[in-house]
Amino acid sequence: MKINKILIIALLMLASAAMGQKYVTKTGSIKFFSDAPMEKIEAYNNQVNAALDTETGDLVFKVLMKSFTFEKALMQEHFNENYVESDKFPNATFVGKITNAGEIGFQKGGTFDAQVEGKLTIHGVTRSVKELGSLTVSDGKILTTSVFPIKLSDYEIKIPKTVASNISESVEITVEVSLAILNQ
Amino acid sequence: MKLWIKIILGLAIIGIIAVLFGYFFVYNKPHTDYENAEAEYTLNAPELYNAFVEDKHGADSLYTGKVILIEAPLTKKETADSLVIAVIVFNEGMFGDEGIRCVMLPKFHETIMAYQTGDPIKIKGYCTGYNDTDVILEHCSIIH
Repeated sequence: MKINKILIIALLMLASAAMGQKYVTKTGSIKFFSDAPMEKIEAYNNQVNAALDTETGDLVFKVLMKSFTFEKALMQEHFNENYVESDKFPNATFVGKITNAGEIGFQKGGTFDAQVEGKLTIHGVTRSVKELGSLTVSDGKILTTSVFPIKLSDYEIKIPKTVASNISESVEITVEVSLAILNQ
Repeated sequence: MKLWIKIILGLAIIGIIAVLFGYFFVYNKPHTDYENAEAEYTLNAPELYNAFVEDKHGADSLYTGKVILIEAPLTKKETADSLVIAVIVFNEGMFGDEGIRCVMLPKFHETIMAYQTGDPIKIKGYCTGYNDTDVILEHCSIIH
């Protein structure tokens, strides 16, 4: 009986060590920027869920499309109703990993390049992506940043010809999340 | 003045008024005043949270994109950069606490900070949906 108990405790300890440390945030920020001939459009979302397992490099982001805020109410309406159809596709997600997690000094701290690979889902369309980012480990927090372009047509987001000069076909996405250790 | 000149001038004035109207009232129309907007639904917080957990699509079509008034005891307050968030917790999950997160309008930052854990509170906000961990209300105000 006693041996069984010790075995269970040892197994639980091993499992916990194998899981690594999990860092999370619910207030990550994503900005998108469209630079078209007629106008520049920016939108922000600072209610981004993100989680990183430092042991495996597993990385997850989840975004509610209706949380994007635009300077102009009309743009926000068009974004939700006509382009990303947020009633039909309320979330965007990224599920992937930092492929060089082993090279990142999560324990010692510093700034590191991160290679990120995974599946990005926007507007109900999932595509494989491979991007570079930067990780700064300091004071028990991990600041993750990445800037990358996405083509709207890749995600079947259609821009009517009448406003084609107002919205760029390729928009720049800036991700900035400050992750803190999850105390469970 | 000749008749055709009068017609052209009249049309030009109508055109200018239409462009100005379009610019100020359509292209530049203001964002919704969420503090003074009327709530479309008034619910107890657990009712709203459980609706999303039990039937996400059904709750999305009912509540997402709507102004909602909820009542509950406050669990905690969070600050992040310029944000102040009132949180009502129901569960624990992979991102930590799960529940309803109310992003407060700047005008209510000080007011919400004066509330203590367990204080009953009525919060009105714009529901942006459920991200599989939390129901998010934005542009929130406190109703007395």
